[in-house]
Parts: sequence; C-alpha cells; structure tokens
Amino acid sequence: MTCIDTPISWLRLERFALDGADAKIAAHVAVCPACGRCLDEVRRDVVALPPLAVPAKAARPWWHFAVPAFALAAAALLLLVWPRDRHRDDVVRVKGVGEVILGIVRERDGVVRDDATTFLPHDRFKIVLTCPPAASAWVDVDIGGDHPLAPTRVACGNRVVVPGAFHLTGTAPNRICVRIDAKTAPDGDAPAACLTVRPE
Amino acid sequence: MEPASSDPQSAYRAYGPALVRKAERILRSREDAFDLVHALFVDLIPRWSKDVDLPYLYRAITNRCLNALRDRNTRVRLLAHEPHAAAPLARVELEDEVVGLRLIASLADRLDESHLEVLVCRFIDDMTQEEIAEHLKLSRKTIGKRLDRIRDEVLALRKERAS
Repeated sequence: MTCIDTPISWLRLERFALDGADAKIAAHVAVCPACGRCLDEVRRDVVALPPLAVPAKAARPWWHFAVPAFALAAAALLLLVWPRDRHRDDVVRVKGVGEVILGIVRERDGVVRDDATTFLPHDRFKIVLTCPPAASAWVDVDIGGDHPLAPTRVACGNRVVVPGAFHLTGTAPNRICVRIDAKTAPDGDAPAACLTVRPE
Repeated sequence: MEPASSDPQSAYRAYGPALVRKAERILRSREDAFDLVHALFVDLIPRWSKDVDLPYLYRAITNRCLNALRDRNTRVRLLAHEPHAAAPLARVELEDEVVGLRLIASLADRLDESHLEVLVCRFIDDMTQEEIAEHLKLSRKTIGKRLDRIRDEVLALRKERAS
C-alpha cells in the first residue's frame, strides 16, 4: 500500500492516537488511505497488557553479608599481627649517618657475585655499603672478633666499596658484621649490620 | 498532550500498547512482543526518570527486539512462526522488498547495532531520514551513509542467494 506523499511514521501515528494534537497528521490521514489505514489499525487494536508485576527483591542469603564481613575481619586481624617493620640484620640505623645497608661481593676464580651467601677457602670478599649520600661513616669489619680490615672512613653513597678484601676460612658459618660510627673508629658497642656466609 | 510518564505503571498503561505493536511489527509475534515490553518496564522501574517518553521507549524496545533476533534459538523459533503471522502494513520498501523478520534476521549477521537500528527506524517504523536523525540524535548525513550501507548489504545478500 502506497502513501500519497511521505508516510507518517508509526511513532507519529501512535502519538497522534494518544493526543490527536497534530493538525498536519489529521489532514494527511484524512486523504491518505495508506496512512489512514495504519492509524485505524492503531485505534482498533486492543492490547490486553499483562499487569506490570514488579518482582519483589529476593531476600539475600545470610552469607551475602557474612562473606565480606569475614573478609574484612580477616584483613584487620592480619594487619594487627603482621610485623610492620620486619627486622633485617643487614640494615642498621646509625645516629649522624642514617640508614646503612650492608652488602658483600664475592670473587671466585674471576667470577664476581654480589648475591653470594656461601664461601670456599680461596674466595675473596669485599664489603659494600649503601648509606645516605650526604653522610660519611667510620666502618670496622668484625668477623667473630677478627678484624681483617683496618677501620676506615667512607663517604656514603650507593654501594660504596670499603677498601680492602679478605678471605673466610673454617667449616662453620661466618657472621660478617660491620660496625659503624659517625665520628670515630667504631668500638665493640657501635651499631652493626651483619650478614652470615656459610661454607660450601 | 501525551499522558504523563511520571511513574512506570502509568507509562506502561499509556505506552505499552504502542510498544507491543512496534515489537510485533519486528518480531511478528505478539507473545514475544508482550514479553519484551514487560521485561523492559520491569528493568526500567528501579531507574525510572520523568524523561522517559514514547520515543525513548521506542528506541529501547527496538534494541530489545534486535537483541532477541541475535539469539540463535529465538531467531529460529520466530522464523518458524513467521509464516503464520499476519503480514504488517508496509508503506516503505527497501529495494522493492518489504522489510520483514527474515530480512532483518539475515542482516543481523552482517550489520552492527547502529545500522540495524536505522534499518528498523526507516523500514519498520517508516520514519523519514530527518525523523530518524532527530530520533537517534545523529546527523542526517550519518543516517544517509548508514542507509547506503544497508542497501549495499541487501544487494550483496541477494547476489549471494542468486548464486
């Protein structure tokens, strides 16, 4: 079926059927059989809508609230019992210097490693320190009461190498400690950062 | 004046029949049209706004119908039912063909949502290009381009069927 001009859209026909306000549509459907028939169809159509049943909100199961609550409680408990600042032996805070981190470098048959934790009798070890760049520190290496290197003063920085190297011997683990002082050569009471190196 | 759409119940009573007719024109099934319109209002209830009017609902129900047609099982069921449904009054044709469920279903795999929406506006709702542009809040040029693309796809579809 063909419209005499431009068809009136179904949306406009539906609105017209609701309010009948558009005079242009009224004039068009009066003379256009195609659009008039569409409007008739809208007006004659009986639509028995089912009631708009709003679904009641289903009651939420108890665990809907319990699970987040338990998770929250567990997280809070973890925060309480978790050590906030786990103590590290290789880090020490020294008055006048700041935080000092001890590291060692091992040289074995020409191979240098900075993550070694074991030794053989012929290995060479060097001490490296990391401390705030503006500071300087006196350091003394103490391995079970032995002092393989003379106390010396180093300018702080990132992985500053302490002059001198040493060997480790024996069949027991060696605890390498570096005592640090801001002003003078450290004595036995000075704060120390330590690492343990085990024999292979 | 159109009835107020201040609450879902009154809007459902006022606009529901128009939306059912529209959905039926696309799906060729009044039962499915009822279901979609009812589901649309149920979904709208929690976020109801006074801005909801017939054009807005028209767009919403178009999208619901197109989504239904994208579902393979629904599409098969509707296509099986189509021959028993009364043919709608057709005033606008696409390349000398009345756009029906079968053509929309075929084009659903070849065109995206934005093109299918224009297809429905033009050939099911019988809107003019200007009206579509206003309805979809797009430029007329964009609508023209989309209609060109739709025609191209219909022609390609026909070629495939012929070969």
